[in-house]
Amino acid sequence: MSVNPFDLKTVVLAKHAQHVVLIHFPIALFMVAVAFDFLAQWAKSRSLAAAAYFNLLLAACFTVPVVATGLAAWQWALEGQKLKGILLMHLVLGCTSAVVIWIVFLIHLRARRHPENSLPTYRLSLEAIAVLLVGVTAHLGGFLSGVNGQG
Amino acid sequence: MSTAVLFATTFGVAFVGMFAGAGSLPPAAQQKSETTEVKIDNFSFGPAELKVTVGTTVTWTNHDDIPHTAVSTDKMFKSKVLDTDEKFSFTFSKPGTYEYFCSIHPKMTGKVVVQ
Repeated sequence: MSVNPFDLKTVVLAKHAQHVVLIHFPIALFMVAVAFDFLAQWAKSRSLAAAAYFNLLLAACFTVPVVATGLAAWQWALEGQKLKGILLMHLVLGCTSAVVIWIVFLIHLRARRHPENSLPTYRLSLEAIAVLLVGVTAHLGGFLSGVNGQG
Repeated sequence: MSTAVLFATTFGVAFVGMFAGAGSLPPAAQQKSETTEVKIDNFSFGPAELKVTVGTTVTWTNHDDIPHTAVSTDKMFKSKVLDTDEKFSFTFSKPGTYEYFCSIHPKMTGKVVVQ
């Protein structure tokens, strides 16, 4: 028996399905934000930097419901049992990614509030690390859900 | 050949044939074997429907690279998260139909019919 992907009610209300749906938003927003920020740095463009900032803002906001639904899935679907292996790695990397996304956003927010200070260049390294973290976390998540690999 | 010899020969052949034939009976007729293992592989339970008798212990083994669980819909049994090659066993002591699913991948479902 399989779930009809076009049956919206079943798909959205399935246990832990919300996490799987929501997670795509911060991933996409953050990746685009980093791309804009690198382009802004290279082209010295204020509008690209602004685009990066607003994408980062949305990405950071989306991490809240994503982490919440992820933790809820752990408590609800697995009843909070002790995790190990891929599930534990996904949890740890996911939380770390959310924290790093917030740090990157706060660096941009601080620079935006104090225009006399330019954005520190070390943020680009941090953003690159964050992209790597998000990528690995997403890969593990896809592996768990069966999107990557088997299924 | 006397009647007694003919009778003894016929009886002897029939007697030997009776025991010789016993070894060639189909296995199902000798012993009714039941599958008590459910293999978890490629995001599915196999067999998806298992028929067992009361008192049978069913063992789920995860042959997948992904963690899975086996949780009955009526909360009769619930495994921990099973990593690759880990097992979970449950003994069915009452007849009935027990539907179960993987709580990580709810579209994975199975059924144990206890007779």
